[in-house]
Amino acid sequence: MKKETILLLAAVLVLPLVLRPAIASEIWIFAILGLGLNLLLGYTGLLSFGQATFFGSAAYVAGWLLKHYGINVFLALGTGVLVGAASAALVGYLCVQRSGLYFIMLTFALNQLFYFVAYQWTSVTGGEDGMPGIPRPAFLGIDFNEPLPYYVFVSALFLLSLWIMKRIVESPLGRILQAIRENEVRAEAVGYDVARFKLLAFVIGGAFSGAAGVLYAMLFGIVPLEAIGFVTSGNVVFATLIGGSGSLYGPIIGSFVFIWLSESVSTLWARWPLLLGVAFVIVVLFLRGGVVEAWARFWSWRSSKQKT
Amino acid sequence: MAILETKNLSKAFGALAAVNDVSLRIEAGTLHSIIGPNGAGKTTLFNLLTGTTAPSSGRILLDGRDITGTPAHRAAHLGLARSFQRTNVFPAFSLLDNVWVAAFACAPSWKGLLWRRADRYPEVSARALAALADVGLADKAGRPVREISHGEQRQLELAIALAAAPRVLLLDEPAAGLSPEETKRLVALVRALKGRYTIVLIEHKIDIIMSVSDRISVMHFGSLIAEGTPAEIQRNHEVRRAYLGGVAA
Amino acid sequence: MSLLAGQILNGIATGMLYALMGLGLSLITGILNIPNFAHGALFAVGAYLLVTAVNVLGNFWIGLVAAPLGVALLGLAIEYAGIRRLYAAGHDYQLLFTFGLSLILAEGIILVWGPVGISHLPPEVLRGGVDLGFTFYPKYRLFVMVVAGLLVFLTWLFLEKTRYGAIMRAGIENKEMVSLLGIDIHRLFTAAFALGAYLAGIAGALTAPIRGLSPGMGVDMLGIAFVVVALGGLGNLLGAIAAGLLIGVAQALVAAYWTEASTVVIYAVMAGVLLVRPQGLFGIR
Repeated sequence: MKKETILLLAAVLVLPLVLRPAIASEIWIFAILGLGLNLLLGYTGLLSFGQATFFGSAAYVAGWLLKHYGINVFLALGTGVLVGAASAALVGYLCVQRSGLYFIMLTFALNQLFYFVAYQWTSVTGGEDGMPGIPRPAFLGIDFNEPLPYYVFVSALFLLSLWIMKRIVESPLGRILQAIRENEVRAEAVGYDVARFKLLAFVIGGAFSGAAGVLYAMLFGIVPLEAIGFVTSGNVVFATLIGGSGSLYGPIIGSFVFIWLSESVSTLWARWPLLLGVAFVIVVLFLRGGVVEAWARFWSWRSSKQKT
Repeated sequence: MAILETKNLSKAFGALAAVNDVSLRIEAGTLHSIIGPNGAGKTTLFNLLTGTTAPSSGRILLDGRDITGTPAHRAAHLGLARSFQRTNVFPAFSLLDNVWVAAFACAPSWKGLLWRRADRYPEVSARALAALADVGLADKAGRPVREISHGEQRQLELAIALAAAPRVLLLDEPAAGLSPEETKRLVALVRALKGRYTIVLIEHKIDIIMSVSDRISVMHFGSLIAEGTPAEIQRNHEVRRAYLGGVAA
Repeated sequence: MSLLAGQILNGIATGMLYALMGLGLSLITGILNIPNFAHGALFAVGAYLLVTAVNVLGNFWIGLVAAPLGVALLGLAIEYAGIRRLYAAGHDYQLLFTFGLSLILAEGIILVWGPVGISHLPPEVLRGGVDLGFTFYPKYRLFVMVVAGLLVFLTWLFLEKTRYGAIMRAGIENKEMVSLLGIDIHRLFTAAFALGAYLAGIAGALTAPIRGLSPGMGVDMLGIAFVVVALGGLGNLLGAIAAGLLIGVAQALVAAYWTEASTVVIYAVMAGVLLVRPQGLFGIR
């Protein structure tokens, strides 16, 4: 088995022993969100600054169904994936027709649209107070209300998501998306409807974000308004960039770094977003390429030293 | 039998007529060159043919079928492949992957697009390798683009166009920026491709044009001012005036 | 009838402010080609600086002059210390940087001025209302309309009629050409960012007595500024002005009948326009 697979499986097994299972679950959930974003950001070269739109929408819809209609976990998941994909199709359709700065601003502005709808539609979403009371229905007799069984569920879904994403990036679609990133004009010239492929990437990324959203809602039992807000969008971009957008595993590392950082610092200081902002600035000015690239550079430096 | 034809094709950008009432016939299997001073509209003509730019008026016919208004991404599927004046490859990919992407686009079936491993398409890989072999880069298939020379990049540029197994090759200044040695190799390559493909060639280097072309069309300020065999063009006064009258940019 | 007229006037007033924001952002994105996610925070800083200036200096008018200059200085510092190093870095890092800045500034505001919203009254002379015949309208809002409109006009005048303004416009069109003409492109960038920051700052300072202040006011305005630029066209200055006014009036009209939807309608208008015209109202395909 490959090195990365062993490391990942080990991490999945060891994590709940080292951290509280709830935080461990949060890390994998955020990693799923990051995988979805990175298909757009790292592979297609599309800086989507609005993934929270799909994450939050899925969380609200699935949360609503779980709370008021008592659907089971898998139906909730399916709903989340569908809502994530559908909202991404809508947003994507408007955004892929523009590029560069316009594209980024549009993803942000549409995120704000969804945010304000959620903010105002208090009868459904609870507005600023969020949507509490989301259950974790049992399945096949397994009670997911305990943190550890839910962790197993979440981490299994994460591994599944990772496998699916791996298949996608190694497929022809993965190559086509990267070709679009590398040279959009040439990709069009050799025969690819670039706008359609960008939209497809959006939809897939949205599906992943939606799955993460449902798991998040069930993890915390509540969908806070921030779940659909631009700060969440920014956090996942940060996590992906710090882990390294150039690889499949970058978002996973980024998730670790971000969740650990935010969980430890947020309890110490109410103004911790200031430190988050500082972290962003430091990463940008000094740590571009992210952990994965720094790690890769370190290893190649070491191996070149060993040769001499 | 004309494989590619334009009828009164025009493109205006505001007040500037970049391509002005151009009617061309490209015979199948021939190498037809388009020459003219800088700014004559040659690249714009290519952009019109491949659908990158929409014409202001006029028609484009492929095999007698009207393809005017076909979007850029359909051109390759119709059998029109194009190489660019400035090297336009996929920088992060290996040479093989560069060509693979182009070959896959025109593959008969996209089955497994999302779930089959990209290296499990034997026909696509074979066609990609064949295209690289055609340009003499087969031995460097696995190398990344940044490791090859500029001349080799121009060869890759050509291989990407070949990968789609096109019927018409539109080559925009393939010898741009090449040393005399590399230019000779390129000319030999283009000669080897003659006959297998219909080739429309834009070039500035007159000696190349004269040695490989079956027919030459001359453009100037967007219009076609002359057309004929290499010998006829050499004797043509209009052409001499356009080129030597101090108008070349 | 007077409700409608009042709302339209409100719309023009906020529309002028939106136009100022859009102009500043359009300049920055058009010339520097970076996604400036700190633009809203600069707006907020302008508002808070006004409040402090008035409290410290005791004079609204001095504050109105000083606060935007403070924001412009902040803009200079930001460009010099950070953005300057990121021109080649790619939009993702530029975004992260300015986004991080917006967090720092927003939290900084909370640290200095506290997390609770503040209300700030206009100066004595501008309190109360004016009888316009068809409606009774707040003096301060008329003031904002006039001042913001004047500023928009002056900015437009500067950009269209002065030599340096022409350089800036040329910088939007073609940066290489500008630097080839011997103009220091870096100074152009710095000046553009400072001007954009100034416009955001004065918009913030003018807003303070209208709607009060809160640490989150920057984010809301950021989204609106993006809408204005998306509709008006990046670097299209007249487009930004027109789009700002359009959105301001649309929002005010909706607010008269369906208050909750008044912010959403801005984004809905944007989405609607872009569906039909992806290049925005004034952009070129």
